Amino acid sequence: MSWMVLATIPDVYAQGRGGPPPGPPPSPKAAARIDLTGYWVSLITEDWRYRQFTPPKGDYESVPINPAGRKLAGAWDPAKDEAAGEQCKAYGAAGIMRMPTRLHITWQDDNTLKLETDAGTQTRIFHFGPPEGAGGDWQGVSSASWDYPRPLIQTGFGGIDFGFTLPPPPGGSLKVVTTKMRPGYLRKNGVPYGNGTLLTEYFDRFEVPGGETYLLVISEVNDPEYLSQPFWTSTHFKKQSDASGWNPTPCVSR
Amino acid sequence: MRVTIKSFMKIIRTILPVLLALAVSALLYGQGRPAPGQPTPAFDIDVTGYWTPALHEDGLERGGGPEIADYGGFALNEAGRLFALSYDPSRLTLRHHQCDAYIMPYQMRAVGNFRTWEERDPHNQQLVAIDVWAQTTEGHRVIWMDGRPHPPAWAPHSFTGFSTGRFVGNALVVYTTHLKQGWLRRNGSPESDQATATEFIVRHGDHLTDTTVVTDPVYLTEPEVRSNDYVRQPGDHHVWLYACDDGEEITGRAPDVVPNYPLGKQPFAKEYSQRYKLPLIASLAGAESMYPGYAAKAKNATEAEGLAKLEPAPNQPSETSRATEVEPHDGEIHVLPVRDNVYMLVGDGGNIVVQTGDQGAFVVDSGEGKLADKVIAAIRKLSDKPIQFIANTSVHAEHVGGNAKLGTVGSDPSLPGSFFDLQSPGRVTGLLTDPAHHATVMAQNNVVVRLEAAKAPIDMIPADTYLEERRRKFHNGELIELFYEPNAVTDGDSIVHFRKSDVIAAGDIFTTTQYPFIDLKNGGSVQGEIKALNDILNRTGYEHDEQGGTYIVPGHGYLSDEHEVVEYRDMVVIVRDRVQALIKAGASLEQVKAARITADYDTRYGSNSGAWTTGMFVEAVYNSLKR
Repeated sequence: MSWMVLATIPDVYAQGRGGPPPGPPPSPKAAARIDLTGYWVSLITEDWRYRQFTPPKGDYESVPINPAGRKLAGAWDPAKDEAAGEQCKAYGAAGIMRMPTRLHITWQDDNTLKLETDAGTQTRIFHFGPPEGAGGDWQGVSSASWDYPRPLIQTGFGGIDFGFTLPPPPGGSLKVVTTKMRPGYLRKNGVPYGNGTLLTEYFDRFEVPGGETYLLVISEVNDPEYLSQPFWTSTHFKKQSDASGWNPTPCVSR
Repeated sequence: MRVTIKSFMKIIRTILPVLLALAVSALLYGQGRPAPGQPTPAFDIDVTGYWTPALHEDGLERGGGPEIADYGGFALNEAGRLFALSYDPSRLTLRHHQCDAYIMPYQMRAVGNFRTWEERDPHNQQLVAIDVWAQTTEGHRVIWMDGRPHPPAWAPHSFTGFSTGRFVGNALVVYTTHLKQGWLRRNGSPESDQATATEFIVRHGDHLTDTTVVTDPVYLTEPEVRSNDYVRQPGDHHVWLYACDDGEEITGRAPDVVPNYPLGKQPFAKEYSQRYKLPLIASLAGAESMYPGYAAKAKNATEAEGLAKLEPAPNQPSETSRATEVEPHDGEIHVLPVRDNVYMLVGDGGNIVVQTGDQGAFVVDSGEGKLADKVIAAIRKLSDKPIQFIANTSVHAEHVGGNAKLGTVGSDPSLPGSFFDLQSPGRVTGLLTDPAHHATVMAQNNVVVRLEAAKAPIDMIPADTYLEERRRKFHNGELIELFYEPNAVTDGDSIVHFRKSDVIAAGDIFTTTQYPFIDLKNGGSVQGEIKALNDILNRTGYEHDEQGGTYIVPGHGYLSDEHEVVEYRDMVVIVRDRVQALIKAGASLEQVKAARITADYDTRYGSNSGAWTTGMFVEAVYNSLKR
């Protein structure tokens, strides 16, 4: 009888006691439950005026900017940025995903996703595992991980530890934490973020039944220097079948 | 057999995981492993609690409000853009617009907190629904999680729509239909009642994101994708609002005034572009304004290109309706319970209303008559009493076509020996030898005049008529009133109000399917049509925020409430205003038609073929006003 019962159990023990002998964990590429690779085009349906065009100086509506940030934004001078060779200040990690751009996402290797933008011709490297690199450039250092839903039961029934873990539920997101960015702009009109900024992003992929496939990038910018609270945005991209429209352009500051 | 504590625990430790695994696997896998090709079972994310939106995107628009002509990033088609440009915010001073709730996609984006909770079956703990209560306009949204189907096309629409959800991957995916007409933005950017929405709701810690993909065949050329972020609150923020009551905002205004701007005459159209130093065309360009590279293109556009977007494109054929067909065309009669003992029957050309009770059935309109036998069968399922009364709302064929058959199977026990019995046309002509064995057919007298002129069969012609104002009858426990609406669609129109059930059968004065069939030849007029629509609105009430309350059964289309009638009334008034202005300027009928004055409504109501085209409607309005 017990064997009959056991035979009906789905593979809930697949990763627990009694499963196949443990081997090396799959690489992040092999473990990916969502496919983010390919070409994507941004849909500028929110903050349209601020993203599609360069807003006037001092126009930082919706951004929880603090007095120090307002002061710096008020001193925005694109000519000065150009003279300093800093046209890419709005193309750093905390700002680039809000730009009107196309994305090209590929696996650089089994442990690294590469995200390229045609706007400003930028490249972001998402390395799974501990951060790699010294940072200090526009894109900083990004650490990636798969953010899968927590299994329903990890410690057993009613707190009793039965010594097994259920397989994680399906689906998930890519989580990317970025630090060590060169100070830049959240918007092209000089709304600043500082070099202590912590950028946390979640990449989710959705498919409308019978319709398009979308990439959603949820972003939380924590900057104690220029923001009074975390700055949240969620930005969408539509999947493209090929590289149509891919048009790498240099950074422009105005 | 003795069982020690140690051995008991050993048994428990051995068996319990098995039972537990079974329980969990049942929870995770629902009805077992997915069949090949089926979606992978998903994780039920918890979206319950108190949520506050983070207005870090479009904060000004969502808070203080958007500006006129700020349509950038919206895939509005010509109709949507012109509708928005014609919109005058003063329209919200009208009594029937003061309490308009937000449609779901805007509700989820508006300023205001949310409370979300689950409904579970108390017997098996299955998730039945997820409820969302919105602070602003007190929108109560139900996302059905129990796999129920969406209602048929003829079912009512609501501001929150009808939503069903399922967990896919790490997202709650929600599909919504049956939305009312509303706005994408509070500056008049429209979303039609034909829009549907797919949402993807994901949660990362205490951060919830709802991505909404709105598809609207009437006003959008491609889906509108926006996402809304919320932060979870530790508890109730105690700032809920209360229901809206309308009031007198402007006194002395004529009932047929609907604030609007003539096409091409929006006085504030350039304000937005001038304030922010944008090319005029930038925010008017529709879908292309959503994509990379648009800014450069807009900067090279001329002022003339921008100005051209402010009015209908010249020399274009009229667009046609992209609305879902409501009539089932499946050869069957479909019964929709409306309220109490009142039902709407769909399928025989025009909508039929049936009221049942201790007495015989009271029927409003009899359809085309092609499916009369099935109509009779459907009514018999609702009542074992015979059809006693049939009221016709107009002379048109899809309202009187079933009179003969329905009447023949009915009977009116109040007639034998009465004055009406002795004086009835049947008695006189000898065609109806026993009126008690025929339902009494009622209508405004001009219906009889028109039918007799058309040499209609005698048993199609109403025998019980009235001339002015109203005809009253207390039947099946409620007062039923027929109100005469002179010179609306025809010169014999009635609306029928079931007072206790609070249901109004509007006939063709109001439909959700086409421009009003103003039949000048049979005495109709646009002025009478507007007055009739306002007469309906004078008798309606809403339950909450311009929704529910009095139900309106249209002559054709889906079961409505006053919101649909108001939007329809607004449309007729606005078209009337435009034609009137052109007549005043000396325009001929051909010039009026060429001006495409219905361009913002054609994708909803327009037709270039069939019995009632856009051209016929414009001509009827023109000729009404020229008389």
